[in-house]
Amino acid sequence: MTTSLKRIPWQIPCLVLLVFLMPSTASAHTETGNVGGFLSGFKHPLTGLDHIVAMVAVGLWGAFLGGRAMWTLPVVFPVVMAFGGAAGVLGIPLPGVETGIALSGIILGLMVAFAARPPLWVAAVIVGFFAIFHGHAHGSELPEAANPLTYAVGFVISTGLLHLSGIAFGLLVKWPWGRIAIRTGGVAIAAIGFGFLFKII
Amino acid sequence: MFRPQPRLTGMLPVLGLFLTLSSTAHAHMTVEGAGEIVNGVLHPLLTPAHVLILLALGLLLGQRVPLDLKRPLRVFAPASALALALTTTGKIPSVYQPMLIGIALCLGILVGLAVKLPRLGSGVICAVAALGIGLDSAVEIGSSFTVFKTLFGTWLSLNVAVTYLAICASHGADKPWARTGIRVVGSWIIAISLLVLAFSLRKIK
Repeated sequence: MTTSLKRIPWQIPCLVLLVFLMPSTASAHTETGNVGGFLSGFKHPLTGLDHIVAMVAVGLWGAFLGGRAMWTLPVVFPVVMAFGGAAGVLGIPLPGVETGIALSGIILGLMVAFAARPPLWVAAVIVGFFAIFHGHAHGSELPEAANPLTYAVGFVISTGLLHLSGIAFGLLVKWPWGRIAIRTGGVAIAAIGFGFLFKII
Repeated sequence: MFRPQPRLTGMLPVLGLFLTLSSTAHAHMTVEGAGEIVNGVLHPLLTPAHVLILLALGLLLGQRVPLDLKRPLRVFAPASALALALTTTGKIPSVYQPMLIGIALCLGILVGLAVKLPRLGSGVICAVAALGIGLDSAVEIGSSFTVFKTLFGTWLSLNVAVTYLAICASHGADKPWARTGIRVVGSWIIAISLLVLAFSLRKIK
């Protein structure tokens, strides 16, 4: 008993304690139109399959390329996406947003599927280009946020975690069967992109 | 040189979780049942804009190899004390929130680019961050002694948080994945700041 208790990392009780410190409003009324707060921001990128697959694809491609690409692409995406999001929030129009988002799934998925290895800057430009569309879509969909800062924190962390899940998947590249799994994942992502482009999904 | 404990890095997720605290918790609130000093300590940790700045500043200082906290803290500690003291005069207008986010944005860019600041540069950054947070931490009610205790708690919290985060960040200086992680966090701070500034601009419009 004593031994098993010693194995519990000391951070766990700290985290549990912090959960109790959260006021009740942290999770309340997020489904009733109140956009403010961390949870609303966190959930926002997770509500669209087209967004999810593209963000996972960024991490996946980065891990597949390896080296600096593994962190460069997931760094470029949220920063450029924030610029797109700012444009969306401010109401600056951007044509072809939905098409751009669907194309991002197709292009990024195909890059993974065909194991494309362009120079890093080319990969960064491709990822950054599509990040603008994703950011703009998110930004323009947002009504007046009750708490922009906690909303943005949740939004960015959620996006980052999607990249991280792609990177985690991409780390399977070490094994032959993993490469097949990753490239199959790329095909699936591209297929979903096609589905959104032609309104099948 | 001080060698940080490996377990210290485990506190990062705990500090990160503070960011998840909801809006009602951050505006000069008081935690019922907690003393003035504890309330002062909690204030910067429960104010998301302050957490962003402290996180970015701590990471920025920790990126410097070898870790040298003496010089930055010689600026940060008195500057934060001065700013907190100025709030008691009642003549300082409230800090414009986008300005705080602007400070976080600048710090996030420096962290993301892993810029090695000269001593003067890090001193200026520390002073600006300390003044921004300090002036935004006014205590509006209570006796002089209550205000003093609360502000002392805030000052303590600010300095410990920056020191602690810098030590945690420096612990990963020899690990490529940790250096990468710090830069990724920097990019997240940039993204968060940009979005919040856009929200602020929309409100102005």
